[in-house]
Amino acid sequence: MTIPQIPPVSVTAYQCVSAAGDDVEALYSSLIDNRSCLKLLQLFDIPFETVVGEVTSPLPEIRPSLKAYDCRNARLALKALSQGGFRAEVERAIARYGAARVGLILGTSTSGIYDSENAYARLRQDGVMPGDFHFLQVQTAQATAEFLRLELGLHGPCYAISTACSSSAKALAAAQRLIATDCCDAVLVAGVDSLCRLTLRGFNSLQLISPQACRPMDAERQGINIGEGAALLLLEKQSSDNAGRPRLLAVGESSDAHHMSAPHPDGVGAATAMAQALRLAGRQVGEVDYINLHATASTLNDLSEARAVVSLFPNPPPCSGVKGLLGHTLGAAGAVETVVSLLALERGFLPGTCGLKRPDPECLFPVVAAPNLEFSPRLILSNAFGFGGNNASVLLEAA
Amino acid sequence: MECMSLLGFGACAPDAEFRASLPFPAFDINRQTIPPLLRRRSSQAMQLAFSAAAAACEHAQRSPATLPSIFASVAGEIKTTDLLCTELVKPEGVMSPSAFHNSVQNTAAAYWSIAQLCTQPASALAAGSDTFAMALLEVWCQLACQGGELLLVCYDEPWPEYLDPGCGESAFGCALVLAAGMVEGSIMQLGRPQTGAPTLPPAWAALIAKMPILAAMPLLERAARAENHPQVVSVSPAWQVEVSG
Repeated sequence: MTIPQIPPVSVTAYQCVSAAGDDVEALYSSLIDNRSCLKLLQLFDIPFETVVGEVTSPLPEIRPSLKAYDCRNARLALKALSQGGFRAEVERAIARYGAARVGLILGTSTSGIYDSENAYARLRQDGVMPGDFHFLQVQTAQATAEFLRLELGLHGPCYAISTACSSSAKALAAAQRLIATDCCDAVLVAGVDSLCRLTLRGFNSLQLISPQACRPMDAERQGINIGEGAALLLLEKQSSDNAGRPRLLAVGESSDAHHMSAPHPDGVGAATAMAQALRLAGRQVGEVDYINLHATASTLNDLSEARAVVSLFPNPPPCSGVKGLLGHTLGAAGAVETVVSLLALERGFLPGTCGLKRPDPECLFPVVAAPNLEFSPRLILSNAFGFGGNNASVLLEAA
Repeated sequence: MECMSLLGFGACAPDAEFRASLPFPAFDINRQTIPPLLRRRSSQAMQLAFSAAAAACEHAQRSPATLPSIFASVAGEIKTTDLLCTELVKPEGVMSPSAFHNSVQNTAAAYWSIAQLCTQPASALAAGSDTFAMALLEVWCQLACQGGELLLVCYDEPWPEYLDPGCGESAFGCALVLAAGMVEGSIMQLGRPQTGAPTLPPAWAALIAKMPILAAMPLLERAARAENHPQVVSVSPAWQVEVSG
């Protein structure tokens, strides 16, 4: 079956809070410096050695009327909303299209589970959950979506996509479809995940955590580091007003149908997702200038993705991955790394691969180690692959 | 796209008394729908999802291997997540690696794609009390953009009383196979989900308040009834859909 193409949407604003700092300017500086932002965990104790991509600056308070939604995840989202005039951009979209025409899609893997864990500690101690714990407003995947919707007064469709580490890349796909089908004129896409014991100890139990700063695509890699972050992107239908903004062309999606916690070794699903993004946009592999790799620094993941790239691209473009800078922000990674890719498109550079010293000899394509300031990519693929072999690849184009 | 067509559906409710009270046919969990190697560790959420999904595909006479899927659930793998959170706060709490990767919201979607060898995209979605409505909207958007057919699976296992007093009962799963546009011989046609106030008998509203995924009830009831006059049915407290045929 021939899949019809999908019309591009404009990315009229984007913002990101991460271990690199409070906004996209801090993120840009870290990318240019290729400086790792991974540090020892401060938020809680863990029974093993690692470094994390933690947001250490103060988080804003949730307003009293929305206190039920108060959790680290919602606070991270609120912090991102307050940076660099992003909230004003959403308000401009509401004024222009009407609140009912602005939707919201959140990508998250563990939502507010960090705060649930604190509530469970009280349950263990006191025999009851704290009176101010609200399961549907804190722990379920949609909680921070509903918080943002109420905070901003949006009345359009609002839901969360939770497909582990591909969550917010797939949220971009859902948002683009809402605009393509005229359900919305604009959609706020949020990728938000916060550090919690569940993911840190869970990945440790899978023996995937690196004790030191991770080294994606490196021959000496030892595993992953977990990060947290909130990335927000405002997508709007294309118009003459936003012709100067970068475009989301398409998101390719696929399933490996292989294993719950290991990717297909040949990267078949990953290659399908990348090919699907190009097909939906009507573009060719030769047009891609740069690939932002998922590159978690787990050996299976890195090699699977490397094989996917080589199988799809006869002459692979330069590739790199940023998890050595920020850690793996899990469900937020798709949106965070879309922001990284948009910075590369708009400011004209290729991000490096922090931690890379000697590329894995099985990785048969050019991995950019240090940032390249002499190269201005115009078409970028950004990959995000999750548990269960759930793949998404985001295709972006410069204005 | 003018409409989407319902090709088949299935509903699963393990509690016999609750099942008998539903205004449409439902059945008990069918563990045969889960591959033997997965069966032992499958959550009730996954059993509900698999049972309903298999029934809907059979009813629609479609191969699950070819259908993109959307799995929607308010609380996902809540019993596994609850177990992990309970362990995490013990001084010597044990973290099981398989329990961890089976705690993600897309667990059922992932195992379904693996069991059916289905490489089509699989999504996992949550939207609180609007979960069923937003899942239908996501189906609408995928079918309108890409055409073809897809499988929608909505399910929730009960969650512990201490998490949300008065909410989280009873276990329920349902699945719909839907196609883009008007399909001859289909059960009914659905319009694009729209916002609108609910019109529900009080007894149904009370059930849905206890288990938000039961917002699928009015649509399933209509699908089970052989009528063809157009009708607007609620799909959440804030959303509705027009059905006909």
